[in-house]
Amino acid sequence: MEERLEPNEMIIHLGPQHPMQPGPFRLNLRLKGETVIDADIELGYIHKGIEKILENRTYLQGITIVDRICYLVALVNEECFVGCVEKLLDIEPPERSKYIRVILEELTRIQSHLLGIGEFAEFIGFVSMFMYAIREREEVLSLIDMVTGARVTHSYLKFGGVRNDLPDGFKEKTLPVLKGLKKEIDNFEQMFHTDRIYRERTVGVGVLTADAAKDLGVSGPVLRATGVPFDIRKNEPYLVYEDLDFKVCTETAGDCFARVQVRLNEIRESIYILEQCLDQIPDGPLFPENTLYGRRTPVMRVPAGEVFYRVEDPRGEMGMYMVSDGSDRPYRVKIRGPYYPTLQALPPLIIGTTVADVAAISGSMDGCTSEADR
Amino acid sequence: MGEVKGKKTSTPNETSVEEIPGVITTTASAISDFLKKTKAQDLINWGRKNSMWFMVQPMGCCGVEMIAMGCAHYDTDRFGIIPRNSPRQADVMLISGYVTKKYLPALKRLWEQMPSPKWVIAIGDCSISGGPFYESYSTVQNIDEIFPIDVFVPGCPPRPEAMLQGFVELQEKIKAKKDLGTEY
Amino acid sequence: MDVTEIFNSLTGTFPEAISEAAVESKIRARAYVDKEKVKEVCQYLKDSLQFDHLCVVCGVDYIKRNEFEVVYHIASYNHPVVLMLKAILPRENPEIESIVSVYWNANWYERETYELYGIVFKNHPNLKPLILPEEMLGEWPLRKDYEGFPNKTARNLV
Repeated sequence: MEERLEPNEMIIHLGPQHPMQPGPFRLNLRLKGETVIDADIELGYIHKGIEKILENRTYLQGITIVDRICYLVALVNEECFVGCVEKLLDIEPPERSKYIRVILEELTRIQSHLLGIGEFAEFIGFVSMFMYAIREREEVLSLIDMVTGARVTHSYLKFGGVRNDLPDGFKEKTLPVLKGLKKEIDNFEQMFHTDRIYRERTVGVGVLTADAAKDLGVSGPVLRATGVPFDIRKNEPYLVYEDLDFKVCTETAGDCFARVQVRLNEIRESIYILEQCLDQIPDGPLFPENTLYGRRTPVMRVPAGEVFYRVEDPRGEMGMYMVSDGSDRPYRVKIRGPYYPTLQALPPLIIGTTVADVAAISGSMDGCTSEADR
Repeated sequence: MGEVKGKKTSTPNETSVEEIPGVITTTASAISDFLKKTKAQDLINWGRKNSMWFMVQPMGCCGVEMIAMGCAHYDTDRFGIIPRNSPRQADVMLISGYVTKKYLPALKRLWEQMPSPKWVIAIGDCSISGGPFYESYSTVQNIDEIFPIDVFVPGCPPRPEAMLQGFVELQEKIKAKKDLGTEY
Repeated sequence: MDVTEIFNSLTGTFPEAISEAAVESKIRARAYVDKEKVKEVCQYLKDSLQFDHLCVVCGVDYIKRNEFEVVYHIASYNHPVVLMLKAILPRENPEIESIVSVYWNANWYERETYELYGIVFKNHPNLKPLILPEEMLGEWPLRKDYEGFPNKTARNLV
């Protein structure tokens, strides 16, 4: 950004530490009066070099590292990494493992969306909503905690299956939580629809059309809010999503209000998926039979090859490109996080709006800087 | 303690030129030096330890647990621990994650912006020893040599209860006058 | 749109620029592309074959072959096929044409590949470091012969 300023112009730096941000990044705004005329993002404040570390760890150790790409959706990151290795090994987890994975990933989606909605509401000054959302999120987190033993970073998936089975009474504990959550989501929706201040801050703010969104390369709820039904779970089904009945939630307005609405609807769909899974989950082994994947496997060689595997993250399309050279550690892992292109699309969206709307637009993207930086 | 009047222009060692009968003229630092030797410091520390506002600055996995700690379920407000967004209003800085080479100058500046007395808590393995990223090319190790850290909370990430326990430990330290944030 | 249809169309239009093309499965195809023709191939993919979504651009360092590969994964919002395009660059003085004018979101991927590998993207609108601090430019940390990894500065390791 040019430092030479016209009269009436100023540059403000939002970040690296700013309440508007989900993590440290720097947003430089050039203002004329109150209007943003130029914007620029600096990343890398929490760049950890995960891709380099993965190249120097065995595959099993890699699961622990990919947990920390984005701490909100650790299980989806694991699914992506484990899916890559399973494609290279040419194995497939048994049905029960697949169902357990879907259950946990949908729970992850619910808690991530709840935090996203809450944070967005907080950014535009609706702090009580944040507290309501976090209260519900704790309920969901305790369910995940019950299965995996951790709240945020799980290391739960393994190649060919999952680490341990669902505990006794999981279904009995989950169904009441889901029922309560459904009621709360209706409450949230009613609050969002009837609150006049909220509507004035979000309806028609940060409008993205479908063509523009495709050009910018965004995915996930930001894209679906513009009316494009793009969802990896439908387009390129993995695990058991083919057998499950769910619909891709879309809105047409493409503004901040629509993005939050898409997230609310997706929570409802996830609850529906969870109910189906809990009904249909078959009994059986957790790992493919006659294999050693369930045992402790400190050294595991993976056949040479390369694979690109995509899953649907709560924020959009998550992919990993993995190159194996036949040794016990990957040759190269490239992580394609969904928030990276979304964050890249932020400057074109906020140019021309006022400073007050920057927080609303940035918050409606539901960010996770950690994953953009990796 | 009598009437106290702070004079901005006078230095501590300089005897006051204009003496007003019945009024003792002194300085703010002299008062605080005096207070440290008395029971009044206990009272001040009691006040400090019960209103530790921390700066919200989510840096890593621990950041999201830090948010969870400050919110409805764990409710740190009952201990007087309130999340603040601005460093100017905060007493405690939580280093909640990996510190990168690019972020360290900003973190130092945030630390300088906080008014004393101020404390640091290192949360999570990353800020204690580097954690899973100890050998990365972009992170900084040995944070404890850079900031005067009072409490270390291990875990990757620690649960919110553990973070609360960290705050309680800090309160104990302040009560025992052994914290690094105040000069005794 | 079917994967074989895409494959035939691509190899038919660029018989010289595309080599070693193969169909891996119903939703995956791969090909090597001449480094001079990357932009034209991408333009064709976007205009004629509905490949309107760039997933990722990344570099891979094949130090034994003394080569870099720039790998493009290009997908579509309409059909599930993901095409993997690879361009081979020499390890000394690697340069390739930027595709920002075709796919807008290649901007940051190319900047990242530049600072981590040192691959220069010609005609990029703003090729400067994105993630690393300015003083680390020139170390190229993701190359296989990078010497700053593992980092031994931590003193309290067991």
